[in-house]
Amino acid sequence: MTVQEALGKRPLQVLEKIRENLERLNEKMEVMIELQKHDRKDLQKPLADAPLDVMTLLSMPDHLRKTAMTLCRLGRATAEEIAQQTQRARAVESAYSNQLVIMGYLKKERKGRKAYFYVERENHG
Amino acid sequence: MTFLGKIIAVHSYKGGTGKTLLSINLAATFVKQGKKICLLDLDFRAPSLATLLNVTKSDYWLNDYLNGTCEIGKVLIDSSDRIHNGGKFFIGLANPTTEAIRDMSAKDRKWEMRALGRLLALRNSLLNDKGFDYLIMDTSPGLQYSSINAIVSADLVIVATTFDRSDVDGTRRMLRELYDLFEKKTEIVLNKVLNASSSLMKENVQTKIKDVYQAPLLGVIPCFCDVLRAEGNTIFVQEKPEHPFTKILDGIASEIDRA
Repeated sequence: MTVQEALGKRPLQVLEKIRENLERLNEKMEVMIELQKHDRKDLQKPLADAPLDVMTLLSMPDHLRKTAMTLCRLGRATAEEIAQQTQRARAVESAYSNQLVIMGYLKKERKGRKAYFYVERENHG
Repeated sequence: MTFLGKIIAVHSYKGGTGKTLLSINLAATFVKQGKKICLLDLDFRAPSLATLLNVTKSDYWLNDYLNGTCEIGKVLIDSSDRIHNGGKFFIGLANPTTEAIRDMSAKDRKWEMRALGRLLALRNSLLNDKGFDYLIMDTSPGLQYSSINAIVSADLVIVATTFDRSDVDGTRRMLRELYDLFEKKTEIVLNKVLNASSSLMKENVQTKIKDVYQAPLLGVIPCFCDVLRAEGNTIFVQEKPEHPFTKILDGIASEIDRA
């Protein structure tokens, strides 16, 4: 099926899908830009479901600790909501939060157009 | 939303600096002013509030709340009758049995992470929902998990310190390598100060605060024999309302209120 055929059938759904994909691509690029800025040091030991405890918070670089601590306080938040607390740009918080997801400290869940970040505390160990 | 309540963690580098004495008497000072106060014993390695406040039995402990087996409301004991003509005074105790101390010292990192979540949740459940004015957390000295969890949860960290050289050095490092990293508002209480009223000692205190700690001074508590003699059998500010120790605590409480 060509794009034109798809557009003819369900134009809104297809456009929405394209927008979602662009947003995800944008998020990945933001993470890559931030990793470049910090020489990839933050991703030296990617972990699966690493506990975000206070000792981990202490060992983090300052820029990631600020994001992680804000999310600890908020429980569950979008990059926009984190940015309101930290007074940094939404794109920066999005990049840092995504980095923390890759490192295994945060979880991410999409609800419609919004991406929520959270610390998974229950039902483990 | 109007939000006035605050969480205060009372911490120190070394043991024996007067954290618990300060916590109990600061809580009692606020209660005497008519405030609604919750005092929590987060020193799970050496619980002492139960003994000092003469509580012999409790159905639920803070250990249970942090383990996720009960709500915080079940842990809190109404001790308002301990302070005459005051506000409301609730306490939450750490289980002092050897078995409980051993159990708490063997917790893993995931448990500590969940415990942090439960401490952070107290802001909503106690300050916002139950309207406490202050939640005061008495902690273990040094870099213990439970203490750092309390520090992360707090709005203000009061550091009790003395002129002991190792304590001064350790406190200085904690200020830079712990409280600053968490961007915590931190204030110093210098305790057990000898000859506190002499001009030489006053100068010494100012030098230490300015050059070594580089943190605000909340109060200076001289070494009072009367306080030592009480041996923790009474809530000092309640029993001795005119004593200089009580007046100093009044000053510290007013300073915290103003901030």
